[in-house]
Amino acid sequence: MGKGILQTSRQRRGLILDPRTKLLMLITVSAFVLGGLGGDRLPFLVPVLCLAVLALFLTAGKYRAAAIYLSVYAAANLAAVLLLPRLSGFFYFLLLGSVGIFSRVMPGVALGAYVVSTTTVSEFTAAMQRMHVSEKITIPMSVMFRFFPTVGEEFSAINAAMRMRGISFGGGSPGKMLEYRLVPLLTCSAKIGEELSAAALTRGLGGETRRTNICRIGFGMQDIAVIALCGGCFAAVGLSYLGVI
Amino acid sequence: MSTLHSRASSGRLTGKDLINTGIYSAIYFVMIMALAMTGYIPVMMPLLCVIGPLVGGIPFMLFLTKVKKFGMILIMSAIMGIMMALTGMGFYALPVALVSGLIAELLWKRANYSRARSSVLVCGFFHIWLWGNFIPLFMNPEGYFATRAEFGADYEAALTALLPPVMNPVLLVCCFVFGVLGGLLGRAMLKKHFIKAGIA
Repeated sequence: MGKGILQTSRQRRGLILDPRTKLLMLITVSAFVLGGLGGDRLPFLVPVLCLAVLALFLTAGKYRAAAIYLSVYAAANLAAVLLLPRLSGFFYFLLLGSVGIFSRVMPGVALGAYVVSTTTVSEFTAAMQRMHVSEKITIPMSVMFRFFPTVGEEFSAINAAMRMRGISFGGGSPGKMLEYRLVPLLTCSAKIGEELSAAALTRGLGGETRRTNICRIGFGMQDIAVIALCGGCFAAVGLSYLGVI
Repeated sequence: MSTLHSRASSGRLTGKDLINTGIYSAIYFVMIMALAMTGYIPVMMPLLCVIGPLVGGIPFMLFLTKVKKFGMILIMSAIMGIMMALTGMGFYALPVALVSGLIAELLWKRANYSRARSSVLVCGFFHIWLWGNFIPLFMNPEGYFATRAEFGADYEAALTALLPPVMNPVLLVCCFVFGVLGGLLGRAMLKKHFIKAGIA
């Protein structure tokens, strides 16, 4: 089912984490890095978590993704420190925007990419079943994660075709630009979706009986380490609010 | 297609319905997130309540043509709220999305899952969930700005000027009104393209 995302288990995947551990890590990173839970009192937590994301990429054997992540993150932080104080007005806002996206949003997005690309569909479903999440949420969510890269792929292909026809961000009206991209995207997504649901129905998804799953998930040493890191972050916040740290 | 739907319309959600919900949620979410990235430019932030529903109306109206049973809109709303929480946009979107999704769901049920005029209103109510992302801005401005402090005083000043407390209900109405307009736009797109292509 798909390539590049929610992989099959035959591939070499490096260190395997339990999906629930990844979910906890995702919540932690989005709360601290994007949501700024640590605030000014615990400024060291954000870089620690960002490095943890890097470490996860490395343990999964995704060296190229790790290198890109590290360089973009470093560049954004350097730009914020070196360039930002010297600018003013419009360029200040422009740089602020891009720095904000890269240094705050990117760790969360990168972790999301890591989670999605290292979790198989079976693992995800098994983890959701263990957490007693209703099928009415798990099926759309797993379809959604499966579908994200398809949307991206189709969009870049449509984009290329439209550029060839000279319908780009530069010229023409924005309404036309939007219409010529959205309509083909929706049309082909709807078609792909129909094929996808036919394939899934053939495998018995959405049947009356409870589906079984042969996938084995569970917590190992690596999970305990990640959980300890996340727990430590939240504990540090709790302690700092109590005035201990 | 319509006879197939009316035959299946009595009953609970099947796998096909859930898969359809997932597919349209994915398309919708990708578009909203792409727009949300522009929120880092201060002027764009309140404008998200305008552009988001307008653009989101197109996939949502196409999604509505697949909704023939109770629950699909609600599930999509819940997923949006969960995704917002997971991507760190705050936890207010989820309860707002559940309420607005339920209203949209009931309205669409009353319209027998087919009336074109109601579908535009449903689109308006559904998009109120976007407003949930702005609640922390008004609830505790200090807390929100503390987390964005590193963006600098200019960013804060610009945002405070753009988002005085009066804006709170304005944004709510904005989401609804532009949701309705997005619905009209979506309906025009349906007529112009999707029905001809045989996918609506």
